[in-house]
Amino acid sequence: MILSGYEYFLVFLLVCTFVPILGLVLAKLLSPAIASPASRTTYESGCEPKGGAWIQFNIRYYMFALAFVIFDVETVFLYPWAVAFSQLGIIAFIEALIFISILVLGLVYAWRKGALEWS
Amino acid sequence: MNLSEGVQVVSLVILSAMVIAAAMGVVLLPNIVYAAFLLGGVFISVAGLYLLLNADFVAAAQVLIYVGAVNVLILFAIMLVNKRQAYPEFKLSGLRNTITALVCIALFCLLTITLTSTNWAIQPATFVLTSTLVTIAKHFFYDYLLPFELASVLLLVALIGAIVLARREFIADVQKDGAIVDESLSLLEKPREQLVGTKL
Repeated sequence: MILSGYEYFLVFLLVCTFVPILGLVLAKLLSPAIASPASRTTYESGCEPKGGAWIQFNIRYYMFALAFVIFDVETVFLYPWAVAFSQLGIIAFIEALIFISILVLGLVYAWRKGALEWS
Repeated sequence: MNLSEGVQVVSLVILSAMVIAAAMGVVLLPNIVYAAFLLGGVFISVAGLYLLLNADFVAAAQVLIYVGAVNVLILFAIMLVNKRQAYPEFKLSGLRNTITALVCIALFCLLTITLTSTNWAIQPATFVLTSTLVTIAKHFFYDYLLPFELASVLLLVALIGAIVLARREFIADVQKDGAIVDESLSLLEKPREQLVGTKL
């Protein structure tokens, strides 16, 4: 016995699975045969790709990953609140605002320290 | 409207096959990047199994924490150190494989014994089919409000600590000029100099 409401999830999942397969199959069917070796090169936003893809990644990405992970964990706490929002009332809304504002402090800190900037 | 039994069984079979195939890939593929991505596949499939068990919050937490956080950090750890260098062959690799196989077989036997000896027929006589999310939310905001708010403080501490640790401070440069350059507002990319050995 399973909870109701998952049939939409299942349909969504099937559509999500079907669309990329459709795209790949259509591209295979419709695209012309590869003529030159140049058309086999990786698409690199108009630039000519050079070097291998298996390189050591820049350490700068790590800061973004760390900030992402923190706010990802925050989402776990806010998810039940969002689902049960209408049943919880105004007090829970204020409590969630306190929760978010404490984490916004962290975001402000990261911003001030330049952790969100690229240079 | 509920999903029929047949759909649930088919979903269970597909998800189990995905878990086993991806887990085999994690173990057997020599390329560690592929293994890490397949580990994400294992986590997502396990989240699907949780959904089949009516544990919707656990499924969401599985996707958010394991796929979003743990797997991302694993991938970053791999990609940041992804230098393709040949490591020397471990000398006692035969012994190591034997010990690993023994431990795995012992674990498998233990799980099999547990599976067969557990009386699975015991079920709660009546249980209400409601989403666990609302219950969890009510506990969050009524009973366990202080731990909930403390969790945000904990996350704040983790974020600030991560930034402080990941920032690269170029200490020697500051000490050389004698004047403290305001570098607190920028992330420096230069490697951290060793404190021992610099001119004080």
